[in-house]
Amino acid sequence: MSKKVNKKDIAQLLKEWSQQFNVLAPSRASGVAEMTEWDGKDTSFLEWYRNTVVPPKASFLPPMEEMFRFRKDEEGYRIEPPSKNGQKQLLFGVRPCDARAMAIVDMTFEDAYKDPYYLEKRRNAVLVGMGCTNPCESCFCTSMGTTPTDSTNVDLMLIDIGDYFLIEEVTAKGKELLAKASGLKEATKSDEAEAEKSKETSYNKVTRKLDTTGIKDRLLESFDDEEFWTKTAAKCISCGICTLLCPTCYCFDINDEMVKGEGARFRNWDSCGFPLYTKMPMENPRSEKWRRVRQKVCHKYEFYPMAFDVIACTGCGRCIRLCPVNWDITQVIESVPQKVKGAK
Amino acid sequence: MEQKLRQEAKALLEQKKIDWIIGFEAGSLKFTTTPLITKDAADTERLVINPFITNNLASFLTEMKGRVAIVAKGCESRSIVSLIQDNKVAREDLVILGVPCPGIIDLAKIERLVGKERDELDDISRDGDKVSVKVNGKKKDFTASDVLFDHCLACELPTPQEYDILLGEERKPSPELKVSGQNIAALKELTSTERWASWEKELSRCIRCYACRNVCPACFCQRCFVEETEPQWVMPMPRWQDNLIFQIIRNIHVAGRCTDCGECERVCPVNIPLRSLTREMYDIVDELFKFKSGMDKDALPLMVHYEQEEAEDLFR
Amino acid sequence: MKLFLRLCYNGTSFDPRSEMSPESEWEPKLLGFLCRWCSYAGADLAGTSRKKYPANIRIIKVPCSGRVDSLFILKALRLGFDGVLVSGCHPGDCHYQTGNYRARRRIAIIKKFLEYLGVEPQRLQASWVSASEGGKFAEVVTDVTQDLKEVGPNQLFERKKNGAKTKARSEGAARAKED
Repeated sequence: MSKKVNKKDIAQLLKEWSQQFNVLAPSRASGVAEMTEWDGKDTSFLEWYRNTVVPPKASFLPPMEEMFRFRKDEEGYRIEPPSKNGQKQLLFGVRPCDARAMAIVDMTFEDAYKDPYYLEKRRNAVLVGMGCTNPCESCFCTSMGTTPTDSTNVDLMLIDIGDYFLIEEVTAKGKELLAKASGLKEATKSDEAEAEKSKETSYNKVTRKLDTTGIKDRLLESFDDEEFWTKTAAKCISCGICTLLCPTCYCFDINDEMVKGEGARFRNWDSCGFPLYTKMPMENPRSEKWRRVRQKVCHKYEFYPMAFDVIACTGCGRCIRLCPVNWDITQVIESVPQKVKGAK
Repeated sequence: MEQKLRQEAKALLEQKKIDWIIGFEAGSLKFTTTPLITKDAADTERLVINPFITNNLASFLTEMKGRVAIVAKGCESRSIVSLIQDNKVAREDLVILGVPCPGIIDLAKIERLVGKERDELDDISRDGDKVSVKVNGKKKDFTASDVLFDHCLACELPTPQEYDILLGEERKPSPELKVSGQNIAALKELTSTERWASWEKELSRCIRCYACRNVCPACFCQRCFVEETEPQWVMPMPRWQDNLIFQIIRNIHVAGRCTDCGECERVCPVNIPLRSLTREMYDIVDELFKFKSGMDKDALPLMVHYEQEEAEDLFR
Repeated sequence: MKLFLRLCYNGTSFDPRSEMSPESEWEPKLLGFLCRWCSYAGADLAGTSRKKYPANIRIIKVPCSGRVDSLFILKALRLGFDGVLVSGCHPGDCHYQTGNYRARRRIAIIKKFLEYLGVEPQRLQASWVSASEGGKFAEVVTDVTQDLKEVGPNQLFERKKNGAKTKARSEGAARAKED
């Protein structure tokens, strides 16, 4: 039998969990909607419809991260690795699109080279998901392999059933979490039926649809279609918003800072949309805007599927909502030409 | 106005008087428009003029080659004039389709006043000074000055002063320009330490997306100072110190060319009040040198011109 | 200029004043950009005339005051200098005709803008010192140094003592100073 929790008791629940975890929850206190350390009382995010502006990936892959410190002495360079913080985090209120995105990013960071910085934080974190009740115009998760209430990639999922949330136990970690919580009630059969209805309603509210059949091949065939890509890229302004705030994007830059033989190496968010992203001493293969726009689209919908069998997009809608010129990836994908094989 | 625009644009393209047209078309979200940049005469059917045409299209001019017809509200025409002054764009290569602008609606303001997110609104329409918002079947009326962008309330030039075809009746600036100095006035009441601390707080959430720089028509450097590594003026890491320096230098570099079009603040994904910087710079330039950017295409740019005697009280 | 550029090249996150012991009394560090034709010569004349002025100033020679970009000034403040002095030829006497007119406009707007942002106005000062004004140069440096002593050390870009700003966001970055 599932459990349920009254929305009014969420603050209490989070307080209890705060005793063993660093609890992060959505908040606008900083000036923008993002996951921040829970302040101990604010639960206004329970009424929000939208996901946060800054995706939860920032908790595992922060905008700026110190990798290690170094110091030069007579014998050479001494490197001090960062102290392992080992802090357990609990991310509360993660939307299914963002949770799926994290699983997609995991594939890269667990590949040939296992990124210690990302993985340490990721493995020490528990995700408590919150299903969406009012998907926005920009959402298209249902076309991208997930739903507004999908519990696949979280440890616990909360489904809105009016005054209560029904709690779905997904993993062992989630079960452990529930065992430590008080103030939970048993859900009745009608609660569970209510939850199923809620899921269906949310699913049907997603109006934006994207047909991705054959997109990998269509993009492969259209790779050299400069005319198409130039037209597609015309209004893009090459800022980094769609990439920096995309939950499946993970590009970063590495820089050293040093004064008098003592310094630190940092990594920070970078974007393939920036003109100098691919600049090398002799050339810049993507100096033209259309190549960068093509790269963004193809990376998500062609190269990632080729490498990991999954489209690196979960339909969270941030890129559409936040783009300064309303460049819309769903429109672009729909317009990728179907080239007839053999014809030029 | 829309009909006239589509006809003119189509004619210009068909008669091969221009190579490109830049205008607005309906966006993929409600109450949104998006730039339309095209060579195709058939696309001109999609051109729109409505209360949501926010973008400053002049920022596209510096990357376009050939003759361009551009839809220009007052703010765009000022940016265009500023670009002409800077010799980045030749007047002969442009056909300016002037749109007298009554001000653009700020969706964020409506969301705050109605208490609902934009996805839940059914309709927004404007009739003169009245803006009606329909939500859940009910209608709520607002005065335009409550829901227009702050920079529109401070607009000194609603009708382009430089144009080839004017698509509507000329509009004069509002008699009471609400120069939105609320934030600036509040800042000026603080001590200098408090002011600096408030900027530290705002710039802490900057993620260095550079949208503010890229939407700006005045920022057209091939290589921006932030991308310079020899010497390295600012590190690419998003520390508040470097984020703030980025904004300070950017504003100084565009001084005299920034027309306070407000785009930088609108596009910032993390809601940094950038207009509190740009507007102050705009006012400083006006106060010190009686210069308003983008008003007279034959005037010398601010940093090129000089008077024999000026600003002497600031020097020892 | 080379030293300045080297400082820029190597990054900015560490406090270059770390070599000062906490017990020594604080002395302001002033960075001066002097134009090679007038002010630098004026400074030289102050030296040969044995006019005393505080040793707090570090001088960088530029060809013209018009060479000074806002980047230099902000970078100096970022690196930890307590004040910046820009000095050039008197208006009308610029070796390059119009360089100092440009500087005048530029410095004027930078000064006003920085003041609005919350930088103490004494931290950026400018003067016109000709090659024959050794005495004036000594006076200017003395006055500016005194101003800086009064306004205190530059803590504009200091990292907060309580919540390291470089901590990853996931560890609850103290972005907003909430109660």
